[in-house]
Amino acid sequence: MIEQIEAVLRQLNIELYRITEQVQESVECFFIRKRLDLKRGTDLTDYAVTVFRAFEKETPQGKEKQLGSSVVNIYPGMAGEEIREALAQAYQAAALVCNAYYELNAGKREAFVPAGGSLAGQSLEETVRQMAEALYAPDTSSKVFINSAEIFAQRVVRRIVNSRGVDVSFETYSVSGEYVVQCVEPQDVETHHQFAYRDADTAALRKSVEEALAVTRARAEAKNPPKAGTYTILLSAEQMRIVLGYYMKRASTGLVYQKYSNYEIGTAAQGQDIQGDALTIYLKAKDPYSAEGIPMKDRLLLEEGTVRTLHGGSRFAYYLGVEPTGEYSCISVPTGSRTMEELKAGPYLHIVSFSDFQMDELTGHFAGEIRLAFLYDGKTVTPVTGGSVNGSILETQGHMTFSTERYQDERYEGPYAVRIEGVQVAGA
Amino acid sequence: MKVQESKFIQDTKPLLVRLLDRLLERYPYASVLAEDSRTRVYSVSRRNMSVGEGDLGTSRGFVAKVSDGKHYTEYSFNRISEETLDVVCARIGELAAASGQVLPEGLTESEYPVPEEEAAAFTGSTSYEIDPRELGDDAILAHLNAVKEKGLAVSDRLLDCRVRCEYQRYTKLFLSREKTMEQNVMWMDGMIAFGAARGEEIKSYYKTYSNLGGAEMLSRMDADVETAAGVTLELLESEPIPPGEYDCVCAPEVTGMIVHEAFGHGVEMDMFVKKRALAEQFVGEYVASELVTMHDGASAASEVASYFFDDEGTAAHDTVVIEKGVLKSGISDLQSALTLGTQPTGNGRRESFRRKAYTRMTNTFFEGGTDTVEEMIASIKYGFLLENPSSGMEDPKNWGIQAMVNIAREIRDGKLTGKIFSPIVLTGYVPDLLKSISMMSENVALSGSGMCGKGYKEWVKVSDGGPYIKAKVRLG
Repeated sequence: MIEQIEAVLRQLNIELYRITEQVQESVECFFIRKRLDLKRGTDLTDYAVTVFRAFEKETPQGKEKQLGSSVVNIYPGMAGEEIREALAQAYQAAALVCNAYYELNAGKREAFVPAGGSLAGQSLEETVRQMAEALYAPDTSSKVFINSAEIFAQRVVRRIVNSRGVDVSFETYSVSGEYVVQCVEPQDVETHHQFAYRDADTAALRKSVEEALAVTRARAEAKNPPKAGTYTILLSAEQMRIVLGYYMKRASTGLVYQKYSNYEIGTAAQGQDIQGDALTIYLKAKDPYSAEGIPMKDRLLLEEGTVRTLHGGSRFAYYLGVEPTGEYSCISVPTGSRTMEELKAGPYLHIVSFSDFQMDELTGHFAGEIRLAFLYDGKTVTPVTGGSVNGSILETQGHMTFSTERYQDERYEGPYAVRIEGVQVAGA
Repeated sequence: MKVQESKFIQDTKPLLVRLLDRLLERYPYASVLAEDSRTRVYSVSRRNMSVGEGDLGTSRGFVAKVSDGKHYTEYSFNRISEETLDVVCARIGELAAASGQVLPEGLTESEYPVPEEEAAAFTGSTSYEIDPRELGDDAILAHLNAVKEKGLAVSDRLLDCRVRCEYQRYTKLFLSREKTMEQNVMWMDGMIAFGAARGEEIKSYYKTYSNLGGAEMLSRMDADVETAAGVTLELLESEPIPPGEYDCVCAPEVTGMIVHEAFGHGVEMDMFVKKRALAEQFVGEYVASELVTMHDGASAASEVASYFFDDEGTAAHDTVVIEKGVLKSGISDLQSALTLGTQPTGNGRRESFRRKAYTRMTNTFFEGGTDTVEEMIASIKYGFLLENPSSGMEDPKNWGIQAMVNIAREIRDGKLTGKIFSPIVLTGYVPDLLKSISMMSENVALSGSGMCGKGYKEWVKVSDGGPYIKAKVRLG
């Protein structure tokens, strides 16, 4: 199909283009309690073609070179004339898109990169079976149990070809899903959890479920919200990716070029007065190539609070005069300076579950409704529920302290918890 | 003008009928849903422009669903031809027989009856005034650029003005033993978003637009771009709100978020099947003030989530969820209705043919009341007018609310003081909030610019709204 698309592009004299082919197969299972409710399979092949068009635009400052682009999807079974019409329309649209000129990434044909790991050596059905077994293994109580679950085992082969010689392809296997844990006593409550692995990490899933069962049991004991006020809070586990993901998003070339972020190489991202831990963050490459076919590798994002890399695709990197790196979705952070026991010195509110914890990369505000937190008032630890956190990383980032204990998921590896001083909590 | 059918679907239909016949020879129930959906997205800002097909909402393919009399299996695919028909049937057979391969020891399979179908043959199309394809990319981009320039001209303090619009045109064909249903639908939505810098912090504000129809929506975007720019500048003076419970007037878009997030998700009856929704225990009971009547349905309003039948071949409904404060009914997909012994309500929706169908909301809203906004503000000693919601999260099990709101305008002694607080987290217990509703304005406004997820995925187009409401709300 790629050859057919390229032939039509040549007929239309479209010189600049990128074609992405994605072949995906999956097996998906949906459970209610310990019963399989529905099983699904998918076999999908998709082609996305981006056509580019260089042209000049008259401006008060004279002629400016532009590069417009437009994306169109091509499907298996499309007739030649339909493909031609779709690409011609996209090429016409590209001439209307007045973006400053940039150069596409160049490359060459590279060897196919097969997936490694245990998932690659077995069927998707077997992957689902193993993960279902791990998921339900700790589910042994009639009071706290898995209410429902979804498991998706997937194999994807992606090939990226462009008009400047890039021709790369690679394979990934993954297993992901979500589950809801319910506890019926002393009150009927639930918590929601997600998982994603590139390996058949049944031990990690089993541990995650054990923790989820414990958290849900604690939530069933929690009755009241904390009193409204200003707290020292602890955030942990998956919330760490959301908090520290702020720095990854702020360092994207797209935000910087459009002036939504003031980051430059050398910017003191955490401010000048760091009283807590100075942050070092690495960008972790999860795939061998980016969406544009740029080879991906691990990179230093922040060093002791200072920006070392701006990351993104070829367009905004060209504008900013930095190396195109591709897009990242995972960060790695070195171990913090304090043990959990030390982070819990003095009164604190440890929020372990939110309805939907959010971090706004434009404003720096983080917020969420508390589903379960542990309040230590200096004497006793009490589970609480309700109320909300509303803070600003811009105001608190100089006073963050991280744990020596570690946590890892598909998009984050680093300290398990952070202690943040002076955060406003709405409660009773 | 009526939305035209997809040539691809028409050309493929004979093959799909043969596929269905082959499946019905083997299974007591089989259905095939075919989808040809195209979105086109336009965006302009100070330093960026784009036009092209969208990721979500652009798809072409098929999903077959079969039941062996007890268990359901689905297969999503996008290759079909005379040559591959055997392969598709064989793969469905493999999946249907795969339970032993995917189930570990100790887990079993749910059993469902085969749905009883009434014969239905239907073809329908929604209407539009201006076809965005005929209007053309050039004219649409020129319109968006003009709106952007008008907005940016308001003040040098504005960092950016991003103006976008999107339309989706889709054809869906549903085939089963008793049903042949086809629909052709088009909607369009748009947004104007401003940003303004306060040091490192970027304050933002947006205004949205939507309609079931075509590019006639674009003309509405001109009218209030300058007002939106002004509100963005006001936000530069905003400050955090002192946490507490306040008397509030909620603008229709905030009412919509409360309707959708706080209550709508809780009456999705696949949650009843899983025993995940508290609402199941409250059918027939007061859950809101007597002023409140709530609807959901693809035929309940003319908005972006309107259609003629859902992704399981059930006709669109107008479901009265709450009537004068009393919870009357949930909304349901087909499989949940089979379990619960109820009737499906036309709410079985898929993100696309690639995904499973769940119970999903459509157009969800409160009916209007008899008060005026001025009366509502005048009735408040100290409180806030809430505007511009940004996101929300459901909690059907425990009826918690989380909604992020961009603006709280201070009301003191019955008058707006001009002071703004931002950002705001709205929380509370759903029945407490709904029972506290004491006034409602006459006019109802729906907005359909957003997508709704089930948890953190399965995005579908929805609209929600209602009148201005006065209620007691916990803000932080």
